[in-house]
Amino acid sequence: MPLSTSSSDVVRDAAEGHARRGVSDQYARQTAADRPGVAQPVPVRPVPAQPWGRILAGAVLLLGLMLAGWEEYWRAYGVRPGIANTFGLWAIQRRRIDAGEGDATVLAGSSRLYFDVQLPAWERLDGRRPIQLSFEGTSPLKAVEDLAADPKFTGRLLIDVAPDLFFSGYEYRTGFIRYARTESPSQRIGQWLSMHVIEPYFAFDDPDYALQTVLARQNWPQRPSLPPHIQVRRLAQHEADRNTHLWSKVDNDPEYRALARRIWRQNFEPSPDEPSPEEAVRIEKEQIDRMAKAVAQLRGRGVKVLFVRLPSDGPFLAYENREHPRARSWDALLAAARAPGIYFEDYPELQGYSLPEWSHVAPSQAERFTDALYGIIRRDFWGPGAVAVSARATPVR
Amino acid sequence: MVFNSLTFIVFFACVLALHSLPFSWTTKKINLAVASYLFYAAWNPPFVILLWVSTVVDWYAAQGLVKARRPAARHAWMLLSVSANLGMLGFFKYGQFLLDNFGSLMAALGVAYHPAHYDIVLPVGISFYTFATMSYTLDVYLRRAAPAQNLLDYALFVTFFPHLVAGPIMRPTELVPQFAEPRRANGQQLRFGLALMTLGLFNKIVLADSFLAGAAERIYDSDKLPGTLDAWAGTLAFSGQIFCDFAGYSTTAIGAALCLGFAMPDNFRFPYAAVGFSDFWRRWHITLSSWLRDYLYIPLGGNRHGARRTYAALMTTMLLGGLWHGANWTFVAWGGLHGVYLAIERALRARFPNYRPGPLMFVALGLLTYTLVNVTWVFFRAKTFGKAWLVLRGMFGQNAGARPILSTFNLVTVAVIIGGMLITHWLMRGRTLESMVARAPAVAVCLVWALMAFAIIAAQGAGNAFIYFQF
Repeated sequence: MPLSTSSSDVVRDAAEGHARRGVSDQYARQTAADRPGVAQPVPVRPVPAQPWGRILAGAVLLLGLMLAGWEEYWRAYGVRPGIANTFGLWAIQRRRIDAGEGDATVLAGSSRLYFDVQLPAWERLDGRRPIQLSFEGTSPLKAVEDLAADPKFTGRLLIDVAPDLFFSGYEYRTGFIRYARTESPSQRIGQWLSMHVIEPYFAFDDPDYALQTVLARQNWPQRPSLPPHIQVRRLAQHEADRNTHLWSKVDNDPEYRALARRIWRQNFEPSPDEPSPEEAVRIEKEQIDRMAKAVAQLRGRGVKVLFVRLPSDGPFLAYENREHPRARSWDALLAAARAPGIYFEDYPELQGYSLPEWSHVAPSQAERFTDALYGIIRRDFWGPGAVAVSARATPVR
Repeated sequence: MVFNSLTFIVFFACVLALHSLPFSWTTKKINLAVASYLFYAAWNPPFVILLWVSTVVDWYAAQGLVKARRPAARHAWMLLSVSANLGMLGFFKYGQFLLDNFGSLMAALGVAYHPAHYDIVLPVGISFYTFATMSYTLDVYLRRAAPAQNLLDYALFVTFFPHLVAGPIMRPTELVPQFAEPRRANGQQLRFGLALMTLGLFNKIVLADSFLAGAAERIYDSDKLPGTLDAWAGTLAFSGQIFCDFAGYSTTAIGAALCLGFAMPDNFRFPYAAVGFSDFWRRWHITLSSWLRDYLYIPLGGNRHGARRTYAALMTTMLLGGLWHGANWTFVAWGGLHGVYLAIERALRARFPNYRPGPLMFVALGLLTYTLVNVTWVFFRAKTFGKAWLVLRGMFGQNAGARPILSTFNLVTVAVIIGGMLITHWLMRGRTLESMVARAPAVAVCLVWALMAFAIIAAQGAGNAFIYFQF
C-alpha cells in the first residue's frame, strides 16, 4: 500500500527512490497507484505498432498446424474421439430422475458396473434404458445417499460393490453430487457445447492426454524415498448417456494391457499411507452402516435395492479377498442392509469372461455379460416371479 | 460465466458481433448492459437482483448527494450508500464469520452459544462490484466526479462484464466518460485485444491451473508434513499460481474490453520485481490497493497527523484489506503481516534517508521482498493457522522426519516457471508489455501467440474458477 497521501508525495518518493537506488525504478505507465486522492482519468491503452493482421493470420495458421499434428499423434496411438466423463455429464443423467424418470432403474457403482454393464443391451432386454450414475475409482456410497434423500426416486437400484473402493470409502472423483446440485447455467451450456462441438471430433480432448499429464508421466528421475507411482491411465470409452466400455486398446495392445496391470499391482503392495488394520476394519464398518441406513431409507419408499459383486480376476481378486474377506465385508453388508445381492462367484453365468486387466470385462464380451446379469436379476430378484427371493433379508447364495 | 469456458467464447463472439452492427450508440450500450447481466446471471440468476440493488441504491444516493443543499444531507446520502453496500457485503460475506466468532467469544466467556449455520452462498464478485459502486458515490461526495448523465451509463459502469466479477476495480471517472461517445475497436485494437486475452488465459489455464496449482495443493491440502524443499516449492508454486490466476484474469478482462473499444487500467506491474513493500503494493492488485488508500487510508488520516496516527491508519487499512479477501483470520494475518512490513520499511526509510543501494544490493533487496511476500502467502493459502505454522516450520527446516511429497516433475515445473517469472518481472519492471511487444520481431510475436493458444487447448482447462472470484 502506498504510504503517501498526495501526488506530490508520490512523485517525491519515486524521485528519491530513483536517486537512492541509482537504478531505474520508475513506473513505465502511471496508474491509480501513482495518483492518490484524486479523480482517476480514463486509462490509455496503446496498441504496439505491429502488423497485427498478418500476425493473427500466421498465429491461426500455426495453431491449426500444431493442433492437426497433436490430433494425428493421438489418433496414431489408437485414440478415437469420445465423450468426456465430466461431472456435467453425470449431472445430466442425475437430472433424469427429477425430469419424470424417478421410477427408472439406476446403476450406482464404480468402474466395474460402469464398464461391464452395457446400457443398450439392458434396454433391449428391459425396454427401458437405465440411468448410469457410477463413477470410476469411486465408492457409490455418496451417490446412494443422495438418491436415498431424494423422494423423487422410487425405482430400482443396482449397487456395485468393488471391495477395495466400497469398503474403504475411497473416492477418486469427489464433488460431483454438489456439482450437480449447484451447476450453473453457464456450466450447463458449456457441457452442451463441449459434448456437441468438441468432444465428438477431437481425440486429444481427453484428460489422459492433457499437456501437463503427458509431461508429468515422462521418465523423470525419482526423488529419494518417494516411492514411484504410476497414475491410472485411460481405461474407458464413454458415450453421451454414460454408456461406457473398457477401451479396446487395453484388450488389444499387450503393452498397454501390461501397463494397466502394472498400475493395479501398485495397489496390491502395502503402502505407508494405508490405514492400520484396525482402522481399516473401522472404516469398513462405517461404510456398511452408512450404506445400510441409506438402503433402509430407500426401502421405506418402495425402492428395490440389489447389490452386485462383479467379476475380478488374478492378483486383483486375490488382493480383494485378502483385504476384504467376503464374510467380513460382503456378507456383513447384505446382513446390515437387509438387501439381496449377486456375488459373481455364486453364478456360473457370470464367470469365464475375459478380464484383460483383471478388473473389467473385455469390451467384446460386455454385451453378453450384461445379458447374463440381467437374466439373473430378472429371474431371481426383479422379475414377476422373483418377488419372494428379492424380499429375502439374508444374503442370496 | 468464467473467461476460461466454452460458454464465454460463444458469449463473447455474440457480444462482438452485436457491437459491430450498425445500431445506435444507445442500443449498443443497452446490448452491453443486457450482455453483462447475462454474464453475471450465468452463475446464479437470482443474484442479479443484488447487482440491481447495488446499482439503484448508489444511483439514487448520488442523485441525492448532488441535489442536497446542506452538508448533513450530503453526508446522509453518502452514508446510505456506504451502509447499503457494506451491509450487503457483510451479510453475504461476513455474516457466518461474525456469528462464529461471536460464538467463540461467548464460549471463552463461559456462555454456551451455538449460532446456526446459515450456509449463505457468496455471490460471485460481490466484493468487486460493491467497491466499484461505492467509489461512485464516494467520488461524487468528495466532488472528484460528476454524477453519470443517465442511469444506463451508470448501470453499465457497474456491470460492464469484463471487470464485473474480479476487477480491475474501476473508478467512475475511468469508465463512465467512455460511455459518452460511441466506441468500437478498430482492427488493430481488436487483434491486440485478442492477443491480450490469449496471454491472460495462458497464464490462468496453463501456468496457474495446469502446472502450479497441483504442487500448491499437495502441500497445502494434504495432512503430510512438508520438508524444507517441499514447503518452499509449494509456497513458491502458490505465489506463481495466484499471480498467474489473477493477473491472467485482469489481462483477459483488459483484452476483452479493448476488443470492444474500451480501455481498462493496469492491475499489475510485474510485482515480483518489487523492491520493498511500498513498491510491491504499487505493482500488485493496483486497483484494490489504490481504492483502499483513497477511501480508507486517507480518510483515516493518512500520513498527515504524525507517525503514530500514520502507522495506525496503515495497519487498519492492511488488516481490513486482508479481511476483504475472505472471512477468515488467516487473511487478516496476511494483511497484518503486510502492514508490519510496510511499517518497518517506512521506519527504515525515515531512519536511513540517504541510503542508496548499489545494483547488487538493489537486486538482493528485491529478492528479500519476494521472499518475505512468500511468507505472507502461507497465511493466504493455508485454510487454518495450524496448517500455516506447519508449512512455515517446513520452510525454515523445523519439520524433522518429513518425507518428500512433491515429485521431481512438480519441482522442475515450479523451478522453471517461477524462475522464468522472476526473470521476466525483473526484465520488465520498468517497462510495459506494449513497449516490449512493439520491439519484438513480428514473427516472434506470431509464434508466441500460436504457442500460447496451442498450450491453452492442449492443457484442456476444466473451467476452474479464478481464485479471486471467491473474494
